[in-house]
Amino acid sequence: MADRYLILEDGSAYLGEGFGSPAVSTGEIVFNTSMTGYQEIITNQIYHNQIIAFTQPTIGSYGINHDSYESILPTVKGVVVRDVASISTNRQRRWSLDQYLKQQNIPGISHIDTRHLAKQLRASGPMKASIVDVADAHAFDQLGATVLTNRQVAAVATPKPYPNPDTGLNVIVIDFGLKHGILRELSKRSCNVTVLPYTATTEEIINLDPDGVVLSTGPGKPQDLPESVLTMIQNIQNRIPLFAIGLGHELFAMANGAQIMKLSPEHHGANHPIREVITNQIIYASQGQGYAVNPETIDRNKLITTFVDLIDGTIQGLRYRDFPAFSVQFFPDGAPGPTETRDIFDEFVESMQQARGPVW
Amino acid sequence: MQKEVVDSMAMKRALTRITYEIIEQNKGIRDVALVGIKTRGVYIAQRIAARLQQLEAATIPVGELDITAFRDDQPLTVAMAPVAYQLDFDVAGKQVILVDDVLFTGRTIRAALDALMGGGRPQSISLAVLVDRGHRELPIRADFIGKNIPTALQERIKVSVTEVDGHDGIEIIN
Repeated sequence: MADRYLILEDGSAYLGEGFGSPAVSTGEIVFNTSMTGYQEIITNQIYHNQIIAFTQPTIGSYGINHDSYESILPTVKGVVVRDVASISTNRQRRWSLDQYLKQQNIPGISHIDTRHLAKQLRASGPMKASIVDVADAHAFDQLGATVLTNRQVAAVATPKPYPNPDTGLNVIVIDFGLKHGILRELSKRSCNVTVLPYTATTEEIINLDPDGVVLSTGPGKPQDLPESVLTMIQNIQNRIPLFAIGLGHELFAMANGAQIMKLSPEHHGANHPIREVITNQIIYASQGQGYAVNPETIDRNKLITTFVDLIDGTIQGLRYRDFPAFSVQFFPDGAPGPTETRDIFDEFVESMQQARGPVW
Repeated sequence: MQKEVVDSMAMKRALTRITYEIIEQNKGIRDVALVGIKTRGVYIAQRIAARLQQLEAATIPVGELDITAFRDDQPLTVAMAPVAYQLDFDVAGKQVILVDDVLFTGRTIRAALDALMGGGRPQSISLAVLVDRGHRELPIRADFIGKNIPTALQERIKVSVTEVDGHDGIEIIN
């Protein structure tokens, strides 16, 4: 394997070994502390145009599996690890991580002191980075001159509606760059799903006669999305049960007057204890958030805080007071990570059933 | 034959959802009081009250009603006896939420309404039940329902709560 460099916007450079694709690429670097689930993380579109550094020292030990994709085509810009496992074993293994990254044209770099890198990123926050062959002045100039897009949702969300038919409740998923786990959990509950682009209007949604609406996860900064998304949320939240996740949660909060702040350090992992306020129970969930709802801007006559992160106190869940519209910041589908939050999907289904009334 | 139709997780969710629905319908919890019908309704009322207190940081009065005399398996003469006022708080002006485990014929609820009204004029009374199993004999319906379970008349619904039965769950017995 060839020597390659990970270079950062602040001028630092790490020497490592390339794996995966030999491409040169640039993106915003973030670190993820999950111990397992690298396949789901790499394929999660919230990491669009980002380079992911894993703090777990060995990545790739169970290969790439048949049923752990969170998108069809991953759009991460790079994978940074300390050791990449050269041998991987798993009953469902299809490819090694190295093979998969080659297929998807994603460069990887190993032998990086990821502990040092994580500490550096914790202090600085995410910054631009490149995986390059030569760490010279030219490479740093190129990196400095690169402007990262702020139209991530448009790049990864579906441009056209598509169905995922089943025989249960009619659910519309508004796609901001969804992870497959959302569709998987709705499928398990027999929901008849229609996925609509994030530009869907209130009328388009109502015309499909949904029992419930899901606002999906997605990449980037919620303020970069058009105002029309907030109007759509305001128009449907009091008419149809609503469940918002990740970026959807941030938009739901914004639609109800709250402001979004940059989070530092960001949450990328599955190790934060989260308190469910109503029962006082502690849960763990996988998180991937660079932004959070500013608690001081929440109108308490409208919204109730339902989940709180116990490490930094950030808001992890909200609910509207007057109707069944609720949201979580973390990923309740447990792909990857703890699965104890999956019953929030049951809660959503039961809200829809209740809104429909009894079956007799 | 017994079959568990609601497990402890689903029961927990149902109570959580009822709690949020109470906040939705009452526009908050001002003047809300919970009244549980013995035996299991009391524990369900206490759990809902605990949840409301978690969310709203306010104390909710919880009362207990014993309407054994009105059970359907009592002779008619016993069932006609008046039920004394049993609560340790005044219901006048309160938004009372009556809580029971199973809503069946509606006769229990009617008796409970009588008992409540004896104590003053609540601003409103609504009904929360963990299970609505149908087969009403009176014009009564629940405002908050944990689970609609369609049943045959001869079947029984058994609600278990940890405080009495050692575990949470709902079983259908036939």
